[in-house]
Amino acid sequence: MSLAGETPRHGPFIDVQFDRPGRGYEPGDTLSVRYDVGGLGSERLRAVEHSVLWYTEGKGEEDLWVHFFERAVKPDVAGSFAVTLPQSPLSYEGVIVKIRWCARVRIFFQGGRDFVSEHVFDVGRVPPARMPKATAS
Amino acid sequence: MRLPRIFGKKRGHRRTGSEAWGSFGDGLFHGALVCAGVVFGALLISGVAVPEWRINHDFIESRGRVLGKGLVKRTVDDPLAAASTTWRPTVRLRYDVAGAIHEAWTRSQPSAGVPDRAAAVARLADWKLGSEVPLWYDPADPTAIVLERGYNWWMWLLALLLPGALVAFGGAGLSRAVRRWGRSEEALAAATGIPGLLGPRAPASPSAVDLAGLPPCDDLVNSPGTQLRYRLPLESPENWTLLGLGLFAAFWNAVLLVLAVGAGLEFTSGRVDWLLLALLVPFIAVGGAAIALVVRGLVLSAAVGTTQLEISDHPLEPGGTYDVLLAQGGSGRIRRLTLALELVEQATFRQGTDARTESLVVWRRQFDAWSDVALLPGARFEVRSTITIPSDAMHSFASEHNAVRWRLVVHGVPARWPAFLRVFPLAVYPGLAANPRETPRPARRVLA
Repeated sequence: MSLAGETPRHGPFIDVQFDRPGRGYEPGDTLSVRYDVGGLGSERLRAVEHSVLWYTEGKGEEDLWVHFFERAVKPDVAGSFAVTLPQSPLSYEGVIVKIRWCARVRIFFQGGRDFVSEHVFDVGRVPPARMPKATAS
Repeated sequence: MRLPRIFGKKRGHRRTGSEAWGSFGDGLFHGALVCAGVVFGALLISGVAVPEWRINHDFIESRGRVLGKGLVKRTVDDPLAAASTTWRPTVRLRYDVAGAIHEAWTRSQPSAGVPDRAAAVARLADWKLGSEVPLWYDPADPTAIVLERGYNWWMWLLALLLPGALVAFGGAGLSRAVRRWGRSEEALAAATGIPGLLGPRAPASPSAVDLAGLPPCDDLVNSPGTQLRYRLPLESPENWTLLGLGLFAAFWNAVLLVLAVGAGLEFTSGRVDWLLLALLVPFIAVGGAAIALVVRGLVLSAAVGTTQLEISDHPLEPGGTYDVLLAQGGSGRIRRLTLALELVEQATFRQGTDARTESLVVWRRQFDAWSDVALLPGARFEVRSTITIPSDAMHSFASEHNAVRWRLVVHGVPARWPAFLRVFPLAVYPGLAANPRETPRPARRVLA
């Protein structure tokens, strides 16, 4: 599996555009995403997966929940998808627990390799937590 | 085609690795377990189960005359100790098979042998020379005869259970590895619905799917209050500690009692085991200390009195204001009593082979404080307060390894006793989630 980087474009890349420039959404909003796949060279696509999910970051093990998932088995190099966001969980920037929402576009090549592009967005407007005070461990 | 990446890499706080190699290794390991189970099972079935089954189904009954008796000696070399020898009684019989007279020694399983030769000889007394006894012979090999039939259920259990467990465990792992092979993390998560997440709220309905990650509130609203709507449950790790200490004290002192009785009996019979007495001294010290700690904990728990909190609504919402009733029982004087609202982050992680949980208070606000509270026996100290959840607050959240929890904390400093802390969990749901509206269920589909 490869991961989309920020600058190098000597391999495949996926440009993703959200319908809101600030990528800030409220629960219940509709999230719309357009994407373009480039840099494929001679490689051919076998499938494309779109997903909207949240995962946890921080000190604990990662937990993950897929809210929206679809797989296109006759893929195109450009596409879009839209989904209504749920009421929870909200994006959260805690001290040892963080919750991140993201949209992922994963492309599968004919040779079996895959490449994923992940783009974080915010749900809700919870300010970051900043008051560390250890209580127990 | 590139080979999958063998080594993992760190991305932010998350470590990624090669899922392809991971699935391959997982499949290889479980495939080896399946193979081992099949081979082990085949050996046990062909060596134990099938012969025994044939004796009970295929062997033909006849009668034979006892010509001789003897013992079969079987010596097995044990690499860790001396060779072990077993003795198995056997009888030579003359019998008729379709008109042909045969003579043969009886067969039985090696497990029929006993290590004591005298015991084996004693068993030979059951057969008298010249007497006629029933026997069963193998139609495919008439010289194979037995005097007893039946099943050794322990061997059958062994033959089926151990290989069966290996095949079942390995097969499940193998099928999981095959199912995961070539599929993305998102596809697997979408297929299972709850990927690595023991959903605190099962997605049974569209609205429940909308509320993923919220801890259940059922246990917080099943107790009505006396003045306000709900009485909050007490989260008391101290009580569990006290219970554990009590169990330890009971077990320790029970062992101590047995040792002490033994020492006492020896003492009364005129013998004194000084080593045992020396050992009893530290045991008595530990047992006494454990009892003292338990008694102290019970006294403290009873002396301070119970604390109860009632709240006007539940679950709470960000921006909401709620009435709270604090009721403190007991007697004596409490120098200071405070009521605070806290937000706690909780993360569970693996450290070596241990699973550790770390908690961190990331937000705290004290709403009320009372000084010099006089507690009277039979009458609770009751006081009302008001709490407000910040409008931009994070809601309660719980997944398998991570949680964000709200709680009310009552801290008291009695005049004569050590300070106490009582914790009451709360559930804060996002505004709309407290009354979830119906929204379309998110799609999980394959596009043609």
